[in-house]
Amino acid sequence: MATVVHAIIGYFVLLFTVRVLARRPGGQLTLFEFVIVFLIGGVAIASTVGADHSMTNCGAGILAVGLMHRLVSWLKGRSERFAAIIDGTPLVLLKEGEWQLEAMRGMRIDPEDVMAAARAKLVRSIFDVKYAILERNGTISIITHER
Amino acid sequence: MAKPSTKPVEDSVARVDHEVAVGEDLGFQRSWWRFERGAWLFFVVVILLDLAGAFGRGPLADAELSSHDKSVAVRYERIERTGTPSMLKIELGPKAIRDGAARLFVSDSIVGSLGARRIIPEPSSTEIGAGGLTYRFPASRPPASVSLELEPAGAGLFPFDIAVPGLAALHGKILVMP
Repeated sequence: MATVVHAIIGYFVLLFTVRVLARRPGGQLTLFEFVIVFLIGGVAIASTVGADHSMTNCGAGILAVGLMHRLVSWLKGRSERFAAIIDGTPLVLLKEGEWQLEAMRGMRIDPEDVMAAARAKLVRSIFDVKYAILERNGTISIITHER
Repeated sequence: MAKPSTKPVEDSVARVDHEVAVGEDLGFQRSWWRFERGAWLFFVVVILLDLAGAFGRGPLADAELSSHDKSVAVRYERIERTGTPSMLKIELGPKAIRDGAARLFVSDSIVGSLGARRIIPEPSSTEIGAGGLTYRFPASRPPASVSLELEPAGAGLFPFDIAVPGLAALHGKILVMP
């Protein structure tokens, strides 16, 4: 019982903490951010299962986290506002040759991050980028000028 | 055979410069950034409170009770944490030692809710009754002390009583954090 409650609380505390950290998961995850994710995960596990390392206890914790994840996904599908709270909304970082500084500073993204995304699309110069968009999953989409 | 469920494609995603469908919502994002600043402030306050001991294991958590006649004093943590061991130390004064022995009453909550795991030194005898346990320790002369190792199993606010029978009684409360 305690494990299930701890797992549910832990899931939402972790979700909240990671959400306010920064939106840079997946392909944008740096070594620095890996440290955060592993450390927070380790601490959360310790408080969730406590001294009871039995299969029953750990299984209950896993199922509770899985159920919470399914519930959050379902709510995201039902409400655009809830989805925006959980995942954020896409943000334009570069538009027609101008950095969108409010979005860049707010998301703590440097021009180097945008250039790295551009290079991944085989774009050689930042001047070839017409739009750079920070997506909800943390990746940066690059749209180049039409030639 | 049932017809597959379908829906016509709609272009409802907000566009940038009437060109790229992005779905940006700067208004929402600005509100979120304000919320984020509040969340970070909250994190800092939580960390400072934790360092100060407001959630246990710090200066704010340390507490002391003593009787007017100085026969008994207790040092303990007024804020504890579930499943985390701590020591409750009882100092016995000259009046508490009579006929080569000291007697000490502790309420049931010390053994039950607050999870007393060990008592140091081992008492020579233990009596039950009056809502607690009365220990007897062989003792010569003061200062003398008895320590109880506590490890609460659950969260809550738990009152406790510690007394030297026939002399002073001390009443305290311990908040156990989840």
